[in-house]
Amino acid sequence: MTTPGTPIMPLDDVRIIDLTHMTAGPFGTRILGDYGGDVIKIERPETGDPTRSMPPFYKDVPGLERSGLFMFLNTNKRSVTLDLKSERGREIVKELVKGAQIVVESFSPGTMEALGLGYEDLKKINPKLVMTSVSNYGQDGPYRDYIGIELNLYAMGGSMISSGDADNEPLKTAGRMVSYHAGYAAALASALGLFQVEFRDADGDYMDVSVFETAMHSIDMRLGRLMGYQYTGHLGTRPGRAVAVGGGVHPCSDGYFLMTGGPRFIPNIIRMIGMEELLETPEWGTAEGRAEPDRIDEFLAYIVPWTLERSKEEVRAACEEFAVLGGPLNTIEDLINNPQFMARNYFQEIDHPTTGPIKYPGYHHKLHREGAEMPKRRRAPLLGEHTGEVLTELGLSAEDIAGLRADGVV
Amino acid sequence: MTADNSSVNSLGAPNPGNPTKPDPDLPLAGMRIIDFTVVFAGPYGTMQLADWGAEIIRVESTTHFASTTRGMLARPALATVQAQTNMGMGMPDSEPGERPWNRSAVFNAHGRNKLSMTVNLRTEEGQEALERLVAVSDALVENNLPQSMERQGITWERLSEINPKLIMIRMPAFGLDGPYKSYRSWGNHMEAISGHPLIRTYPDLSPEYAPAGVPSDAASGIGATLAFLMGKRYLKRTGKGLLIEAPTAENFVPLLGDFVMDYSMNGRVWTQMGNNHFYLAPHNVYRTQGEDQWVTIACRNEEQWQALCERMRHPELVNDPRFKDNESRFENRAELDVIISAWTAEKHASWIMEQLQLVGVPSGAVINERDATEDRHLEHRGFFTRVTHPEAGTHKALMTPFKSMNNPGVGPRRHSPRLGEDNEYIYKSVLGYSDEEYAEFDKKGHIGMDYDPSIP
Repeated sequence: MTTPGTPIMPLDDVRIIDLTHMTAGPFGTRILGDYGGDVIKIERPETGDPTRSMPPFYKDVPGLERSGLFMFLNTNKRSVTLDLKSERGREIVKELVKGAQIVVESFSPGTMEALGLGYEDLKKINPKLVMTSVSNYGQDGPYRDYIGIELNLYAMGGSMISSGDADNEPLKTAGRMVSYHAGYAAALASALGLFQVEFRDADGDYMDVSVFETAMHSIDMRLGRLMGYQYTGHLGTRPGRAVAVGGGVHPCSDGYFLMTGGPRFIPNIIRMIGMEELLETPEWGTAEGRAEPDRIDEFLAYIVPWTLERSKEEVRAACEEFAVLGGPLNTIEDLINNPQFMARNYFQEIDHPTTGPIKYPGYHHKLHREGAEMPKRRRAPLLGEHTGEVLTELGLSAEDIAGLRADGVV
Repeated sequence: MTADNSSVNSLGAPNPGNPTKPDPDLPLAGMRIIDFTVVFAGPYGTMQLADWGAEIIRVESTTHFASTTRGMLARPALATVQAQTNMGMGMPDSEPGERPWNRSAVFNAHGRNKLSMTVNLRTEEGQEALERLVAVSDALVENNLPQSMERQGITWERLSEINPKLIMIRMPAFGLDGPYKSYRSWGNHMEAISGHPLIRTYPDLSPEYAPAGVPSDAASGIGATLAFLMGKRYLKRTGKGLLIEAPTAENFVPLLGDFVMDYSMNGRVWTQMGNNHFYLAPHNVYRTQGEDQWVTIACRNEEQWQALCERMRHPELVNDPRFKDNESRFENRAELDVIISAWTAEKHASWIMEQLQLVGVPSGAVINERDATEDRHLEHRGFFTRVTHPEAGTHKALMTPFKSMNNPGVGPRRHSPRLGEDNEYIYKSVLGYSDEEYAEFDKKGHIGMDYDPSIP
């Protein structure tokens, strides 16, 4: 996909056959696309990836080319519709696999094998192939066939038990974070497989990525908590509202502000709110004094009136000046208009026939290539937009393609 | 580049080999990576690189203690250790021991397979040692406040001149430029700025109760590992090294992609969702029998809803007008949650999970650390192994987060390095200093396994 003279992206000579759908797998192949990979997304004819039918929709009107979720997850991909239930559809997948370095799939365990497209089948036609499977619980084990959705995968894998307030129920993370994290791990697994093939002349490899395990491995630093439990015998708990002196979420004139307190940081907070004289007192002047549990409530009475008189941004600027660790509880609107993200042109405008140009989250990483900005992303494909193009690349004639269309294979 | 294990010292005896004994068949064997990472996001990245076979050299110092990497304080009081509520910061038997910095749970979890050297970079000879290390390494990974790296002379301009093939991965919170370049931040503050806790927190409570978990850190780590592989591929194709900037905030915002898109398309601002789904009901966590035990239950379609009603032995709910379709259930979800809670209250979370999964309803027990380390599925999958640490004892540790068929059983080969544990190997075998020169580094205070007594 490179035109001569264009500065290269690391994967712009790599082809990925993308048999993923929903959220986890597509998030991963999207990242391979960000790094320049030619991602060929295989979709079911007529309806496509189920996320095409999932909100948010542009102007809240449903439609296969209106889902923001789909548009977000599928930038830099080409869409080919293919009926995998048909023999000819599966033959086309095998033809595509011959010219690809990576296959990523996210069907229920066993599905690819049942279709004759399992790793053992595909490596016969491409011994250097890296195949990555993303599933909820992995390809084997007692939970293999459990139904996984974001909520129960976080409950089991993430550290939900430690998330939230001591006197209230455990909370999930926002949106689809656990699924996306697993997709990210699938991108890494695929790249690691490719590295073996190219740098160590290894055979292809099969990567088994489980959402449950990638979460357990360490959303919310869970690996530290698992070790900590074994060290201390104590189970993780949800912290109460204010657990450290000066710390917690404090109300401001226009919202809320998260601050990290504790005996080590409190002197800076005291200076920030202009109460240096406190540091001369026996209660506040020594680390031991500041560590007394009574100090927590006492200090709330000092700091809350101070934060209430200031905006989130004023508190943030003060934190920066006094080396206090904290951050405003922003809304997504605040985020998109945040001066830091604006200064770096982080959010990218991407044009789409349905929406016109709108803002998307930017790149995860910025490559400082000599004399080259990061490339612009291509919008998510319309359903089957590249079917003809990709089949032509495979050597099929216009007649062949018309026949496949007539038979509902593509 | 391969670690030169065959080098000899001035007496003709062999220098020490890599103490972590990397398996030459692992995918990243022969790669050497300089590790300036702190706290969790960066170390989780170099942990993946170490697990898959790279030689990771943590550059540390006996005169500087990076808080929260090897514990909150170098020498915490017994009472402070006992009062710790975040178990990631826990220590064996809740005792600081002789060298508390070798006993932090989270460090001892993510540090496995890595090496530790100590050097004082505020000296000429320290900087010379750094230059030697850069010259024989494939990459450098760091996640610090940008200027604190630059103050130590660690800049792309300098390092790429020493080693034009170097891959440098920098993971500042917000970026190497922009108004927040110098804004000191941990993962939780960065997530707050990025909008996460306000979406995540309780619908019916003040945002003062917002949770402070940090899912972003693990994603930053995975990203750093990927960035290394991408950098190596760029090098292979162009012959040039590469600086990859991976700000943790920019890496994290895509994990909130749904919310960015809804704002871009519809101007909608989601806040205080708690365990609510965007549109599905039921979708919540319910209290079960036992202390702080919970189970999640959700239904994505009518089939699952009917199965749930059957299993709760409340088939009449299917025809209840309040719950007749997803839209009605979503509207009346508070009433629905009361009914489900009444059913879950006297049952075991794991029993509910298994019963509901049997009939195809998505459900999961909210599993704590004990449940996790004893989980039968993870046991079957070989998720855990055991590692012995000389100052912390023997405990279960995790294998890699995904499995490779070519490389079964990849996980810890050695305990997390004690501060300065591998100085001799690194100074002599990697950097090529003689025994005399090493003794000189020792005399000048670079070498050590203890923090300077002045550090609290």
